[in-house]
Amino acid sequence: MTMQNSKLINLNKEKKETLIFNKPGDYVVFFENLSGEFNFRIEAENVNLEIYGLYVGKGNDQFTIKTTQHHIAPNSSSNLLVKGVFFDQAKFFYRGLVRIEKGAQKSHAYQKNQNLVLSSNVDIDSKPDLEILANDVFCTHGSTTGYLNEEQIFYLKSRGLKESQAKNLLIEGFVGEIKEKLKIKNYNL
Amino acid sequence: MDNLTFDYRYGFRVKENYVFKSRKGLDRKLVAEISYLKKEPKWMTKLRLEAYDNFVKKEMPSWGVDLSAINFDDIYYYIKPTEKPASSWQNLPEEIKETYDKIGVPQAERDFLAGVSAQYESEVVYKSIKKELSKQGVIFLDMDSGLREYPEIVKEYFGKIVPSSDNKFAALNTAVWSGGSFLYVPKGVKVALPLQAYFRINAEAFGQFERTLIIAEEGSYVHYIEGCTAPIYTTSSLHAAVVEIFVKKGARVRYTTVQNWSHNVYNLVTKRAKVEEQGVMEWVDCNIGSYVTMKYPSCILAGEGARGEVLSIAYASKNQHQDAGAKMIHLAPNTSSRIISKSISKSGGRTSYRGLVYVSPMAKNSKVYVSCDALILDELSRSDTYPTMKIKNKDVEVQHEATVEKIGEEKLFYLQSRGIKKGEAEGLLVNGFIEPVTKEIPLEYTVELNRLINLEMSGSVG
Repeated sequence: MTMQNSKLINLNKEKKETLIFNKPGDYVVFFENLSGEFNFRIEAENVNLEIYGLYVGKGNDQFTIKTTQHHIAPNSSSNLLVKGVFFDQAKFFYRGLVRIEKGAQKSHAYQKNQNLVLSSNVDIDSKPDLEILANDVFCTHGSTTGYLNEEQIFYLKSRGLKESQAKNLLIEGFVGEIKEKLKIKNYNL
Repeated sequence: MDNLTFDYRYGFRVKENYVFKSRKGLDRKLVAEISYLKKEPKWMTKLRLEAYDNFVKKEMPSWGVDLSAINFDDIYYYIKPTEKPASSWQNLPEEIKETYDKIGVPQAERDFLAGVSAQYESEVVYKSIKKELSKQGVIFLDMDSGLREYPEIVKEYFGKIVPSSDNKFAALNTAVWSGGSFLYVPKGVKVALPLQAYFRINAEAFGQFERTLIIAEEGSYVHYIEGCTAPIYTTSSLHAAVVEIFVKKGARVRYTTVQNWSHNVYNLVTKRAKVEEQGVMEWVDCNIGSYVTMKYPSCILAGEGARGEVLSIAYASKNQHQDAGAKMIHLAPNTSSRIISKSISKSGGRTSYRGLVYVSPMAKNSKVYVSCDALILDELSRSDTYPTMKIKNKDVEVQHEATVEKIGEEKLFYLQSRGIKKGEAEGLLVNGFIEPVTKEIPLEYTVELNRLINLEMSGSVG
């Protein structure tokens, strides 16, 4: 489907696998606890696309997701952030691909996957791939997976918080980042 | 910059003079024959035959580089150049000496080298081991001699990290291996000078299948260097090597490779190390040459506090595809690993970083850091990054980052404004880009690498 700008595209509601961006403008995509393959095709110049994904896995939850930021037209940008918090036996399989075609010079593409792991029984599989066929581009990807920051927990405890309170605060902060960003842009979920 | 043609510096051949040359192609009979000619123990013959069966059974890898042009029936699997390994430089055949002169192993420098084990064709014909090494109890032989003289040690370790069932090319290597290095460092021994092995392929359509086994006992240290240059051929050559390294408790091994095969070689190598408690394994892997390369040095971090490191450079020019990377398998608590990869693609070359980080449920408090940077020098070239992270533990810190960009226009402009030609300026910037890795390798290799990069960039050695 072809996207219109200035409105939040909620993938949980749109239920589309391929999104085509063929008009210039700013676009924001959001999805939550969603499994599937999503292809973001950038076919116009001056598209600024932001993609936010949020996952909270508990019990036997299992998510498998693949995103493709496919730059076909030049001079556009895409910025993806997928965050996940995983408890219990949750499983998370993420494959993210940034593909820049030959004609898509001066593209900027970013891709980030951050996972917070709160149980030793979780299973995280993160595969952030890049395929770059143009030279005048800037692309980065990053992936981090880990437990809560011990120093931050220590700091909060030194301020009188209980361990459990400190942890909850840090988890809320981690999860809240995406919603906070959308709120600042005046998008309602 | 696009119309540069780079003449392969070491693209020469010397007359072939072989004692034994197998027929082309491979079957069970030839595998048994190789083992018979080498007068090997029965268990090795059995291992080779099993490996041959695995080779036939295994599929070609469906991912990575295009291997469809390899014709396994058009390759010589065993060539024996001279009857016995020469014991000193003087006894080496003239042709072989000539080869070394062209590679540039100066006579004077040889004395500084702890031991030059030079592989010519499929057998090590020349090696010189300093007396101090023997005094320390260090064994440094070609693999065939290693098997003859220390069969118990070889039997205990051979094929234990890379079994022939691992992949098609490891199976092929195990079936027909010849040459390579056997290095044993006893407990607590620190080898002060890097040990080096130069080797080359020198027969048309001849595949080289060397096998290297390094055992570093508790608390020992050794740095092993392999650098290779090969002449140009009209038909494609296959190089399928296997390297196995055992790093015992508290030991440290560094393995440096400068791979500069000529541009028709299929370089398909399996390199793996098993690292015990508090051991350190460092791979420094520079891939400049070959037609295609598939090589992912691996560390199995099996003991508590083990550490693995891969520093890698890949350079791909016209028609080249470097599919290189690293694997870190964390199996014990408090293990850490670091991967630094730098790749450069130019004139239609393609570089791919392919990596795996696995953190098992046992590997509590493990730390992983992966950084991949790629430079794309023109619009014909391509760069890929294919990392995989599998994490099954909560007490971990796993970080991966990658960037892909072109050469900095402003830096280039600045250098040109200072009177440096564009090609040279690019060479300077590319050398700066790979500097974090090149600073880790011995100076003579750094110099050679920097010269190669300059040559590739500007067509002249500055």
